Amino acid sequence: MEVTIKIFRYNPEKDQRGHYETYTVEASENDRVLDVLELVKGHKDGTLSFRRSCAHGVCGSDAMRINGRNMLACKTLIRDVGANITVEPIMGLKVAKDLIVDMNPFFDNYKKMLPYLINDNPLPADGKERLQSPEQRARFDESTKCILCAACTTSCPSFWASDEYYGPAALVTAHRFIFDSRDEGAEQRLHVLSETNGTARCHTAYNCTEACPRDIQITKAIGELKMAMVTGKID
Amino acid sequence: MSDRNVSLSSALKYKGQGPYLTFILHRIGGSMIAIFVTLHILGTFFEMIGWQIGDLITDIYISPPFQIVFMFGMLFHIINGMRITILDLFPTKLIPYHRQAIVIEWIIFILVYGFAVVTTITTTIARMS
Ligand code: SF4
Ligand code: FES
Repeated sequence: MEVTIKIFRYNPEKDQRGHYETYTVEASENDRVLDVLELVKGHKDGTLSFRRSCAHGVCGSDAMRINGRNMLACKTLIRDVGANITVEPIMGLKVAKDLIVDMNPFFDNYKKMLPYLINDNPLPADGKERLQSPEQRARFDESTKCILCAACTTSCPSFWASDEYYGPAALVTAHRFIFDSRDEGAEQRLHVLSETNGTARCHTAYNCTEACPRDIQITKAIGELKMAMVTGKID
Repeated sequence: MSDRNVSLSSALKYKGQGPYLTFILHRIGGSMIAIFVTLHILGTFFEMIGWQIGDLITDIYISPPFQIVFMFGMLFHIINGMRITILDLFPTKLIPYHRQAIVIEWIIFILVYGFAVVTTITTTIARMS
């Protein structure tokens, strides 16, 4: 089938502002948007720039706005979005070139969540693992699935307003560690979250939950963080 | 181009589905309440000090067309706010059902707003005849 794809283009060395260019390629309805971008780059315009790595929804490189909505290009089939596609960079981050955005503010916010296990207690007597029951593991299972693609954060109106807001992805990371029974850093992280740019800026637009390619219930995770802050209980 | 690649129009055009529509309408409703309260205070104040413009402002906000538009924003803001509060109080149990909650919210809103519109129109007609 013939697929028409309109792509946002911006070259900081030449362009004052972004513009759109339209290409037509032959593709199958079972191809993904990423395949169509590859066809355009390979056969029509080699200067087209976009991130991709795994091409299988694992690395989180290729989040972009497809027909007005954040998605992973490698997980979006042509048959689901139709033969007329518009592809634009995700919003709220500076465009570096074409579909590539500067992810630094996103990862700066991520780092503020102390994204590593904090536990200074001595290891168990056998010196091996800190054991966890299946129920304890299940408590934060969903938030371990995050691939840091930024589809959620860049769909969030509060993040559009200010990239000082930590954003949904950072809050999912905080959830992943706060509700981990092996971790002892909950207090530190809840303190970070109680700052102006923490959970208070989540106004439950649900764009993040709708955008997440890993189907993480992000607003629920943020709700649980808010509850933990109010009650002081992590359960 | 804007430094962070976002503008009011691109934000409004984002296809966030049903929940995002309620988010936008909630803000519009909040702004309408703010406008109504401001008009109310100004109208009463100007009337108190004997300025004619006070009557004009009051005539605007008690007029049925204004009331019908205002009630849309106000009632949506209240009902949507209740949905958000209830879901926020039970995040683990209720937030996974946020889509169903929005459907229920729209049903309640249409019933309440429909009743308010019909009452406003019938009262206006009765007053005129
Ligand atoms: S929570 Fe989902 S949308 Fe957000 S960064 Fe992680 S995988 Fe991407
Ligand atoms: S290319 Fe790795 S997630 Fe799409």
